[in-house]
This record gives sequence, C-alpha cells and structure tokens, in this order.
Amino acid sequence: MLVAWRYRERKNSFIQSFDPRAWVIFYLCCFVSTLSFWDVRFLLPFLVIAIFVLLTSGVKWHEIRRAFLFIVIFIFFFSILTFLTGRGGSEVYKQEHLIREFRASFSILGWTPVLKVTVERAFFAVSQLVRYASVAVMTILVPYSLNPALYGITFKGLGLPDKFAYAMDLTMRFIPTFGRDFQLTMDAQRARGYELEKIDGGLIAQVRKLGPIVVPVTIHAIIGSEDIIDAMDLRAFGVGPRTWLDVLTYTTRDRILIAVGAAILTVSIVLGFMGFGKFWVPEVLLGMF
Amino acid sequence: MTSTLAPLVVDNLSFRYRDRQGAAIHNLSFTANPGEVLLIAGASGCGKTTLVRCINGLIPRSYKGEMSGKILVFGEEVKDWKLSQISQKIGTVLQDPERQILGTKVVNEVAFGLENLGMPREEIYSRVDEALNFLKIPHLRNRETFNLSGGEKQKVALAGVLAMRPSIVLLDEPLASLDPASAQDTLDAVRLLADQGLSILMVEHRVEDVMRIKPERVMFMSDGEIRYLGELSGLSKVVNYREVKLPAEDIVERAKLDPPPVEIKVLPGVTSSEIKQDALVRFEDVAFGYESGVEILHGIDLQINRGDVIAVLGPNGAGKTTFVKHAIGLLKPKSGKVLVGGRDTNEASVAEIASMLGYVFQSPSHMLFAPTVREELAFGPTNMKHTKTQIELEVKEALKIVNLVEKENDPPLALSFGQQKRVSIAAILAMRSRILVMDEPTAGQDYQNYMNFMDSILQMPAFEAIIFITHDVDLAAIYANRVLIISDGRLIADGKPQDVLRDFDRLKANRIIPTSLLALNLKRLSATGRFMRAEALAHI
Repeated sequence: MLVAWRYRERKNSFIQSFDPRAWVIFYLCCFVSTLSFWDVRFLLPFLVIAIFVLLTSGVKWHEIRRAFLFIVIFIFFFSILTFLTGRGGSEVYKQEHLIREFRASFSILGWTPVLKVTVERAFFAVSQLVRYASVAVMTILVPYSLNPALYGITFKGLGLPDKFAYAMDLTMRFIPTFGRDFQLTMDAQRARGYELEKIDGGLIAQVRKLGPIVVPVTIHAIIGSEDIIDAMDLRAFGVGPRTWLDVLTYTTRDRILIAVGAAILTVSIVLGFMGFGKFWVPEVLLGMF
Repeated sequence: MTSTLAPLVVDNLSFRYRDRQGAAIHNLSFTANPGEVLLIAGASGCGKTTLVRCINGLIPRSYKGEMSGKILVFGEEVKDWKLSQISQKIGTVLQDPERQILGTKVVNEVAFGLENLGMPREEIYSRVDEALNFLKIPHLRNRETFNLSGGEKQKVALAGVLAMRPSIVLLDEPLASLDPASAQDTLDAVRLLADQGLSILMVEHRVEDVMRIKPERVMFMSDGEIRYLGELSGLSKVVNYREVKLPAEDIVERAKLDPPPVEIKVLPGVTSSEIKQDALVRFEDVAFGYESGVEILHGIDLQINRGDVIAVLGPNGAGKTTFVKHAIGLLKPKSGKVLVGGRDTNEASVAEIASMLGYVFQSPSHMLFAPTVREELAFGPTNMKHTKTQIELEVKEALKIVNLVEKENDPPLALSFGQQKRVSIAAILAMRSRILVMDEPTAGQDYQNYMNFMDSILQMPAFEAIIFITHDVDLAAIYANRVLIISDGRLIADGKPQDVLRDFDRLKANRIIPTSLLALNLKRLSATGRFMRAEALAHI
C-alpha cells in the first residue's frame, strides 16, 4: 500500500486553496458542462478555465511533463484520426462544404483512397480538440493536487456511504502499488530475456505473450488484497457508522466555488435545452465554399 | 471478577480448512498469562498461522472450515462474538507491515480501528497519542507512512493495534521483513508491552532473535500439535536444532552428541586452477541516480571472479538491490562502466546478459506464470533463442538439479513456497547463466528449509559464482567466502567474512547485529582458520 505520491502541498496553489469537496464538485460541473457542448465558442471558456487552473496549480513542469505529453499526443492523434476519416462528426452535422479533395494516385482492389477536407470536418476536429483538452487538463491535475489522505473523507463528504467512500479511497491508493508490482515483474521477466517491445503476431498471440506479466501481477494483486481485507476486518472495519478523523469545513470561498460550478452547470443545461451550443461552423466559411 | 481469569484460554482446539484434507491444528490446549511473552515457534506448515487466525476470529469468520474446541477470553467464549468485539480484546499485527498499513499518515493509520468503532474524535486523538507515546514514537505522528523505515512501520502497525486497548496482542512473524536493527527495535517494543501487563503471543521462527527479550514461555509446534510448552531453557533440549535456530552455544552442546555434519563442496563446478583473475563482472567507478537527481550509488569499484560466493550486507535502502540490478543490466550506470564478460552493459541487452547472470527475485510469485513447471523453465531459454533440443535438455537438467523432476507437469503456482523458490532457481539454471544472483534467498522460508536450500544451491555444479543480498549475518558467515557491506550507496567493506565481520562497531553502525554464531566463530578463529556452522564447530 505504501508508495510515494505525486501529491505535494504547494505554495499559492489555486486548487489547493479550496476544500477538496468543493473542488470535486466544481470539477464535475465543468466536466459535464463541457461534454454538453460542441460549439467551439461555448467550449473555449472551459479551456480558458482549465488553463487558468493549470497555471495557478503550483505544479512544476518537470513533474507533469511525461503525463502531459502523453495526453497531448493522445488528443492530437484522435482529433487527426477523426479529421482524416470523417467519422465521429457525422452525428452532429448533416451537410458538408468541400474545401478540397485529395485523391490518391493509386487504388487498392479497385478502391481509391480519397481525403475530403471540408469546413465541417476541420471545425469538428478543432471543437473536439478544445473539448478534450479542457477535460484532460483539469483531470490530470487531480492526483497532483488532492491530498490522498483526504480521498475517503472527500467522497464521504460528497454523500457516499462509509464503506463505499473508503473503498474508493483504497482503490485510488491501490493504483500506484499495482504500478510497483508491475515494475518488479517486468524486471524479473526481462532478466529472463523477455522483451515486451518485441511482441509480435496476431491479436490473440500478442495477448498470450503478455501472460508473463499479467499472471504474476494479477496473482500479487489478489494475494495483496486478501491481506488488506484481513487487516481491515481485524480492526473492525464496516461494523457500523465510522468516525472520519479528518474534518473538512467549507469556507465562504468554497461555497462561492460550488455556486459558480452549479451556475455554470445550470446555464449549460438550460442553453442545451434551448438548442444552443450545438456544432457550429462560421457562416463566413460556409459562404466561401 | 475478570482480573482473576486468564486473558486467554485455548481448550482442545482443532481446525480443518474447508478445501483441504487433514486438520491444520489438533487438540491444542494452553493458557496465556498477563504480562508474559509466549513465543510460538515451528516450521512452515506447523499450524502457527491457523492458530493465530482462530484466536483473532478470522477463523471461522473469514476462513471457513470445521472447528472444534473452545477459545475463552477472560472466561468468556468468543464463538458468538463479532469480529469488532474480539478486536477490542485481541489485537493482531500481521507479517508484512507494508500490507496492513492502510493510512497515508501515521496518525490516520493508528486511528483506523477507532474510527471504525465510531468513537468520538477527541477520544480517538487521545488514544492515538497514548499509543504513540507508549511505543516512544510520538515524533512519527504526522509523518507519511511510506517514508517510514521497516522497523518504524512495524511499530506504527503495533500502535494501531494498541490504540484499541487490547489485553492480548498476537504477532504473526513480525520480524520477517525487517533488517536486524529494526527487528531489535520491534522486539524491545514488544517487551515493553508485556511488562505493562499485556499478554503477548508471538509467532516467529527467528527464535534466537526473540530470545534477547527473554520470552517467559515458548511453545513449539509441529504437524498442528504442541510438542513443547514451557520455559525457554527447556526448548533446546526438546527440539531438533536443525528445525529451529537456537543460540550457537546450545547447538554446539547438542551437536557434540551427533556425528559431524558432512562438509559441503561449494561451487563444485569451479576447480581451483580455474580461479584466475579474469573477472566475470567488473564495476568501474559506477555511479547511479534516478531521474529525481539523487545519487544512489557512488564510486563502486569491484570485480566478481570465478569461485566467489558473495554476501551483500547493509541496511534497508542502502543501495544493495540497485547495485545488483547494475550487474544484470536492468539498470545502466549514470557514470562509470559495468562490464559483464568483458562487454559493457550499455551495449548489451538484458537478454544477452542473462546468459551470464541469472537473477532470482525475493518473491517467486513475481515471476511464475506458466501453466506447467516445464514451460516455466523453457521460458528463459526460448527468449534467448536456444534450439528446441537444447531447451529440452536444459529443462531436464535444471529439474534434476533442483529435485523437482516429478513436478514437471504441475502448475508452479500450486507448489509450496519452498518448491516455488526452487522453480525460480531452476528457471535460471535452464538459461545456463554462469552467475547466480539472489535477493534475500531465505525470505519467507523457515530455518530448516532455507538452510537446506542454501546447501543445495551452493553445491550445484552449474554456477561459477554466487551473489546474494541478505540481512542474515549468519548466512554470510557460513556460506560466503567474500562479504560486501554497502551503506549509503558506497561499498564500505569488501573482503573475507572473517576480516569484514570481526569489526562489531562497523557492523552496528550499518544496522547489522552480530549473532551468537558470529561471536563463537571469532572466538575459535585461531583454531578453525575460517567461519563454520555451529554443528561443525561442535567437533573441533
């Protein structure tokens, strides 16, 4: 259970100046609101909020670099993929305005690959990028900013039952332990000449070849969880309502944050019902093609 | 009323696990008294852990089976008690503190049980402070649990149990994962508890270590039965000194009556004419640090030669594992060079190095995965692109050496811990690695098992050198012909056991505690010329 955390207490951090419950509520409000829009004009404010939170979080670039790059590459990859294939967006727009068509000079079995660059596809890719980026930036900050010692009480404070709140708390903290076991097994198998990078073959063959990693890691997780269950049982876990040692208290600024979050969410929902925020392409562009 | 009753009475207790044949314990009867440490010793599988589970209520509540007999706590039968009720009378500290510490901060960890009982916050805080003060660790109160040393973790786990104010404390092999100095700290804390009137039942096979705190009584179990229950002084007369590690003087007394032990031939594959100065592995001014920038190894210079049996000693976190991971190429030096068979590890893949060095991890379950032992052993050679006929031969030979031929088609994960450990060695043998590297080879095994295990490994003809990391000074004294002490990432001693281990001040400074066997060996060194096991000393 015991591994180092990404979390640090950070000076002048905007996120950390709030009660974690208030922060989680605000985060969820932004999350749901972002996902209810496709209009890039409505999405941009959320990206601005996310970037503001990132810049004021006190998290240093070198701490977050790897995770951040991974997410940026991931988002770009998927946005470009949707752009190239034209899939995904077809649900939000019916008509397409062609900018240019690229036709391959070869054909495979009678099929000639064609890339249609349309105003809708391009704008859809941009909207998607903004949408995912705002959600991802906010999410990535959670493990760096929220104190793991307060996970349980945070969930409890959000109205979840004791057992469930503690289970969430344990699960969150179990992930890094899992990572450590994975590394140990990886080392043990590499010392036996196993190279994960060289796995080839069909999908089933590839999954089979992951056995040397997956089996020991799973077995360890099971053995480990048995010990944890024993340790919890032996200290009367789950016998009745429990006291949570840490106390969280809302201050005025926390209430303001929750109110702002709730307002954002309400406005988003109302706008959605009124038909605003759907996929949007500037009229000017449409007129040009 | 209750004060006159014994805290714990076990009366004719038997238990059989639902999915196993044969009872794990039969007809156990004993009483635990207030203010005493009752040491429970015995080999793996003797029923110690089952007994602990029956007393703390996990049997039959979490582990099902057939139970008979009675357990009385202050005269009351606990059969119908809830686990929460039992846990306020009987506290349990499990073997591995890593796996039972649930809180991220010490204060939360110690409070966990009290929180579950729904106590008022002020009461919890006062009990937490009381427990921490009692164990003399109030300074740890606001520390994060992952930053604690092994001994500190074990004491924090103990504090979590004490906060519930039990009258009886069960400790299930509390020393297993600790370095000698941390083990001593934990034992001192346990003595303190008994002196305050608690009943302590401690399951532990490191009997010699526990003897330092003078347990009032010892129970010796084998095959699920009590073979001895009485004063410590009587133990060495009834138990087999090969089964339980007794102080060296006691073994010498007993072994005099037996024929002298057969001398083992260390690394029989290496003839003395082969022991030349051509190094198998060479470290040249190696330094290493992770990305965070803190340097973990500094200026390591040494070579591993044919015929070396090297014990690596040093406190937890000193860099021992980092050091051996460099030898097998899992880590590459930040500066300096590691040469394996003359080749720089920066230029060789781990797979290529594996033909020279095979690494056996502490816990076999970190590597075993295949459906049969045979496939498990074929894994390494297959990765190294050996031919089919070659692999078949290698697997067969490896199985023969570790004496597991009849288990060839069994799933390795279904074998006993000792057998799994042997499978993990065989996996290295099958790759024809020339140097065997082991991290804590004795972890998780009882005394007799690990001594047999070490004896058989050292006599394997396949290896040209062996390196093992250990906390057990006796293991280094008996088996190694070269001892390294690593502390703070530096190699601070490298030489013959009799030269390195004679400096007790240096050992203590590195959290290594001299043992009775080491002291006896040093006393007799002029007559013997080298370190020996106690049985052999009896005949000199």
